Formats: sequence, structure tokens, C-alpha cells
Amino acid sequence: MPRRVLFCGVGALGSTAALLCRNLPAEADAELAFVDFDRVEAKNLRAQGFTKPALGKNKAEALKLQLLNLYGVRSEAYPVRLEATNASALCAGAALLVDGFDNAASRTLLAEHAREANLPLVHAAMAADGSFGLVRWDERFRPDPEDSAGQATCETGEHLPFIGLLGAVLARAIQDFLRDDRRRDFLVSLSGVRET
Amino acid sequence: MAILNITWNGISAEARVAIDHDLGDADLKRVAVELIRSGEVPGLHIASLPERSFDHFVVDRFDTPEGGKRIFLRPKVPFGSAAPGPTRAGT
Repeated sequence: MPRRVLFCGVGALGSTAALLCRNLPAEADAELAFVDFDRVEAKNLRAQGFTKPALGKNKAEALKLQLLNLYGVRSEAYPVRLEATNASALCAGAALLVDGFDNAASRTLLAEHAREANLPLVHAAMAADGSFGLVRWDERFRPDPEDSAGQATCETGEHLPFIGLLGAVLARAIQDFLRDDRRRDFLVSLSGVRET
Repeated sequence: MAILNITWNGISAEARVAIDHDLGDADLKRVAVELIRSGEVPGLHIASLPERSFDHFVVDRFDTPEGGKRIFLRPKVPFGSAAPGPTRAGT
């Protein structure tokens, strides 16, 4: 039975990492699945892993369609907001949870559920100025609050190269876990990637 | 003795420093400013670094598998996905 990797939040980091995990279904007997309630807007094309035909579609559904249509990879999509009432159902059967959320409340909810259900969880997070990011397993992660509620980042796509770098490091951490059960933490800055 | 990793303005550098692993966050941030000003963090020497540069930074403290101490002084990382604007996603 394929091991399910559930990406929670497929915005910039989640969608980028998911696309870089498209080898896993064939190579590591994995199944990719996505949870996100948001829709793809034109500005998202500049910083997230979506293409023009995805405009207006739910992000989870759009990613599923892209993987199938562009790469022939099947996946699952859940176009809903992860909440306390549905976390158990959404995460059931997952071999790995991936946190790509953009706010502390959702990160905390997911982490609490992962600990309760004893599910492995890896987080990815970046600074607002696009100069720094972390990939950390839940054992060593605590969510940072935004400086202000609803704080925006990367509306113009100016951080796309850094998002690509951090998304690739997240994909590496996911693949190492599935292949070797290794839980590698990384610190990513403009000066490079450092395993921590 | 601890390994102190500091990320400032996109540059990450670290140094082995003789500080108490349990030093409070505010004191640690002051020490970090002095270390950077004095060039004691290889690759991160800024003589004119402002006094309160790390006020909004986060301090992480970990034990290393080798039994040592490692401290990270880093920017906040609130974001995982970019969904800005008034209808910003909760995911």
C-alpha cells in the first residue's frame, strides 16, 4: 500500500516542494495528497508552483490536475480548510505530514494533531523578507507568530528564487525520510544551506 | 561553551563562544551584537551593527547529538506559503 504524504498548505513552499516530489509515487511507493482551501490568483503564478490554467481553481485541486496533466502522476486533493473537526479524517493513514501553512494557528493545530496521532511531521517556514528559512521536524519546531495579523509576503514574486531553494530543501527532507527514515533539519539562508 | 549560529541580512555564520547556554534572550542578543561588531563571528563582521538589531529575532536552543550546546539567533519565519492580501488563506 502506498505511503501517503499529505501536504498541508500548498502555497509557495508546499506547491514547490510537492512538484519536486513527483518522483516519489514511482520511485518510493508514495502517494501525494494536498489540503488547501484557497484558490489560485494571478499573483500566485509569480511565487507558487501553479500554471495559468490553474487560475481560479482550488489550489489542492489545481496541483492534482497539474501533476496528472503535465507529469502523469496521480494524487489526491482535499479542497478544504484543515480544522480541529476534520484533522483526524484528513490525516488518517498518512505516513508523513508536511506543514506549508502560513500562519501560527494552523501550524499549531496541525502539530497538536500530529503529536496526538503520533504522525511524523516536517515544517517549512520562511522569513517575510525572503532571506531566511527553516526546514525542521516537529520535535524541534515551534511556530513563530507573524509581526502583524495577515502580514503579506512575496506578492510580487521577488522571493521566488529563495522559495525555490527552500522548497527544494523541503523536498529533500521529505525524500530522505521516505527512503531512509532520516529526519534532517536544515537552515537555509542566502549564504547557503546548512544541515542542523 | 556553545556554538552560536547567527543569521543576519541573509547571511548565516557561527562561532564557538564561551557563554552560558541558559543566558536569557535579551542578554544573548546583546552579546551577539558585540561579537559581530568585534569580528568574532567568521563571515559576519559588521563594525557598525546597530545596538537593537536582534530585538525581533528568535532564539532557539538545542542539545547536539554529541552532547554539546547549539544556539540559533535567527529572523522570525512565520510563512510557509505566500497567500497575501485581504483574502489571505488560513492555510
